[in-house]
Amino acid sequence: MSLVSEAARILLNGLQTGAIYVLLAIGLSIILGTLKFVNFAHGALYLIGLYAGLLISQETTFSGGQLAEFGFGTIGLDWGFLAALLIVPALVFVLGIAMERFVARPFYDRPDTDQILLTFGLAIVAQQVVRVLFSGSSQNFAQPSWAAGPLQLPLIGGFPQWRLWVIGITAVLVLIVYALIEFTDFGLTVRAGTQDTEMVQLLGIDISRPYVVVFGIGAALAGVAGVVGGPLNVVNPTVGTDILVPAFITVVIGGLGSIRGAVLGGLILGITESFLIQWSLVIPSLGIDYGFAPWSQVGIYAIAAVILLVRPQGLLGSEVDVS
Amino acid sequence: MSLLELEGVDAYYGESHILRAVSLSVEEGEICALLGRNGAGKTTTLRSIAGAKPPAVRDGRITFDGTEVTGRAAEDVSMGGISLVPEERRIFADLTVAENLHLADVARNRSNTFGRSIRIGRDGMTTEEVFEFFPRLEERDSQKAGTLSGGEQQMLAIGRALKQTTELMMLDEPYEGLAPQIIEAVEHAIERISDAGTTLLLVEQNAVAAINIADRCYVIDQGEIVFEGSAEELREDDETRERYLGV
Repeated sequence: MSLVSEAARILLNGLQTGAIYVLLAIGLSIILGTLKFVNFAHGALYLIGLYAGLLISQETTFSGGQLAEFGFGTIGLDWGFLAALLIVPALVFVLGIAMERFVARPFYDRPDTDQILLTFGLAIVAQQVVRVLFSGSSQNFAQPSWAAGPLQLPLIGGFPQWRLWVIGITAVLVLIVYALIEFTDFGLTVRAGTQDTEMVQLLGIDISRPYVVVFGIGAALAGVAGVVGGPLNVVNPTVGTDILVPAFITVVIGGLGSIRGAVLGGLILGITESFLIQWSLVIPSLGIDYGFAPWSQVGIYAIAAVILLVRPQGLLGSEVDVS
Repeated sequence: MSLLELEGVDAYYGESHILRAVSLSVEEGEICALLGRNGAGKTTTLRSIAGAKPPAVRDGRITFDGTEVTGRAAEDVSMGGISLVPEERRIFADLTVAENLHLADVARNRSNTFGRSIRIGRDGMTTEEVFEFFPRLEERDSQKAGTLSGGEQQMLAIGRALKQTTELMMLDEPYEGLAPQIIEAVEHAIERISDAGTTLLLVEQNAVAAINIADRCYVIDQGEIVFEGSAEELREDDETRERYLGV
């Protein structure tokens, strides 16, 4: 494989990995930027989206868990992947709204540590409920039949079609959310609220209305991430907490409250990770052939540390104090 | 009946008692000035009226146009006809001038008003009228508000309030940090707003400037009203001026 085609492959894989981070980070970032709410349960929304998608899209046989014990070991609506892709965001949007109303809102005026304890606890509860119901074992989430198999691309050769779909779906969703924030009255209120919530209220605007929608949109994006990422990643109850850390790093290096920052941060992390997974140092004369895959997780923390040392507010973050 | 009436208002920031039995009234159409030293309780009074929290109003009544508004949410008080041009202006620096002004239109959108038990005050100015009032803002309408000069930012903050459903406009230190000739321009603007029929409650540390344009004055000190009277009476009351205002 030539260097160029290898680079292109690393880039595409990086875009795909990054796309999942972007979907999660946008929600986290705008919720943190506008509502100043630290949501450690954001990964739980990804987890719920993932399992809801699994159950809507196909029939799955769970080898353990309470459902299997009660004789419902093989369950699922089997409505196909597209149905999951359409239903899950709506479902998680509603869940997000309920979460804002009953979990987040009573904690807006509480310190960050209270919010973290609350939402982290919630994330663990969600994870354990999934474990109790469906057991801790990993499941297989089938790719949509209409996007299975490789696609022949110039330069690269065969590339898994679904990965390209994930990039495309993410790009479309990011553009929609961006347009919503930049070009609508709703978005104007949200941007104003990010700068000075009280002043928006003093203008007569009941800001809890756009804010609950912000929460719902952020949740829905996390749900979508669960569905589109499902066929590419492991499916088990710990994925929600596992993905939370890179999602937060994405927000932090991109800059709080910035959609463009979340996109940039996600792509940097995704490409770094994909580069380290696929790159090996080969020097035949010295007999060196070392793959960096084991370092991929270390790599994303290292790059985050370097970026934060140079720009503590994140790449596209303003220096506004959000505390 | 006065347009705005405060009766024995006690307000707290956390546990510290800031306003002590403050009573004052603002008559329709007048310019009323609330004067006092830094920390006397001027801003707390305006925030209590506007429904901003903190402070917490624990005792007393605030009545606007015959309706009690004590403890109501800021967004509801605002829709009812009270606008605030706050201390340090608080314009949205990252939004353009036009977007800053447009937020007052957003407040009247149905998505904001439906289902709320609010009495909506009289319509404010349109953006075009605000631009006629402050032509400088029109020249800068697509500029980020943060790039404006101090005087232009003050015009924007006042323009934003003019677009609200304003019957009573409260101005908190409108002259703060402005050059003398800009102060004159703002003073002139305040007089024109008053002439157009909007009632004004003006808070100032710059007592001389405020007494110049006010019809009536209150002086507040350590959270208590210590003087009430016409602007002439305060101008002639050397003792009050020296003791509480230092002028």
